[in-house]
Amino acid sequence: MNNTFVVGISDMKLSTNPGDVIVTYSLGSCLGVTVYDPRARIGGMVHCLLPSAAAAREKARANPFMFVNTGVAMTVRRLVDLGADKDRLVFKAAGGANMRKDRIFDTGVRNFKALMKLLDRNGRRLTAKDVGGTIPRTLFLYLDTGRVVVRSLGKESDL
Amino acid sequence: MSRRDEILAACEKVVAMPTCVRKAGSLLDGPETDLARLGRIIEHDPGLTANLLKVVNASDLASDRPVLTAHAALDVLRSPEVLRFFISTGVAPYYVHVIAGYDQAPSQFLQHSTTVAIASRELAAALKLDVPDYVYTAGLLSGIGKLLLGAYVQVDLREILRLVFDEGMAFDRAEERMLGINHAELGGIILERWGLPDALTRVVCHHLRPDEYDGRDVVLDLVHVGNVLAKMIGVGLGADGLNYEVSPRVVERLGITSPVLDSVSAEVVVELQSLWDLFLECSDDFCNL
Repeated sequence: MNNTFVVGISDMKLSTNPGDVIVTYSLGSCLGVTVYDPRARIGGMVHCLLPSAAAAREKARANPFMFVNTGVAMTVRRLVDLGADKDRLVFKAAGGANMRKDRIFDTGVRNFKALMKLLDRNGRRLTAKDVGGTIPRTLFLYLDTGRVVVRSLGKESDL
Repeated sequence: MSRRDEILAACEKVVAMPTCVRKAGSLLDGPETDLARLGRIIEHDPGLTANLLKVVNASDLASDRPVLTAHAALDVLRSPEVLRFFISTGVAPYYVHVIAGYDQAPSQFLQHSTTVAIASRELAAALKLDVPDYVYTAGLLSGIGKLLLGAYVQVDLREILRLVFDEGMAFDRAEERMLGINHAELGGIILERWGLPDALTRVVCHHLRPDEYDGRDVVLDLVHVGNVLAKMIGVGLGADGLNYEVSPRVVERLGITSPVLDSVSAEVVVELQSLWDLFLECSDDFCNL
């Protein structure tokens, strides 16, 4: 049976069933990251609130998916445990919006920087992104092909 | 008649805000009213809270001081009979059925309102500010003008978004350009007409542009930032997205830093998780938003 899994804030969902879809709604400054192994056709999506677990270590212990650095790493670990090959993983990201003309409330920018830092440190690259600006985004991952779609203001585009 | 006058005339007819009334009503109709559960539903629902405050402040039930929170109002209305009266009379035929202009489903509006309320309160706690407990109510009611303005925004959404993205205008300023009024001011006017206390209506009216309020009000400052935080966290974001301005003066006055924002955001998300059951209850077909 095919399912649609909804990822909440500070949450992660993964699937090994190619018929499934994973979606997260209403990304503001949060970052949604999809991780997909095209050969094994398994993947996951994490919806991270904040850049680094250093901001709240206790909360990171309780829920590593709240933070980009621990959340993405944990998603990869879970996928590898299920049979994904680390070297084949495709990373895509959406979200990381910011308030208009503001520098203090720059969580979106910091979230994306944290992702890039994590990927760089591990020699991985980001295949596609739709980040920044002031728009809300909904992010879909289709497990059959690894297709990633971003929907915003009624328009959909492939990532 | 200008668009503003037209909207204000429509606002005269709105005698009640759409809410999860049936849910609350069914609790009252049970053999034993669960006041604690009912209180929890009312406390987190903008429409029911506004109705409750309207009834209590307009009646002889309140003391000399205005009642500013749902909790305080429920203390006044302890009897299920009085509560039943409130539910049945506070909700009248004039419903605003959709808020399509903002592209928000009913449950999304509820989620966003609750998130603003929690964020405002958690911000006060993180900053160790001694503030009145109606900061939650003020946050909860802050977006209530959207319920009426949504229908008008929908008509002009394309042009409003053009002003936002092509001319770099904040969403509320674009609303004002097109409609002659923004949802914050309209929300304040609605609540004022209902006889809600000035302490609440001024926060609702000025929460998007606190610098335009001629005075200092820490609750206003907190709700301004609480609203920003809620949008960043992303719960119930609509077509307006993050297209609002943050007041640097408020940020400085409150002493807000990135670590404070991070810490409050994390607290809010954890607290929201304990309320998902309410959101689910209120997203069913019986809730006429």
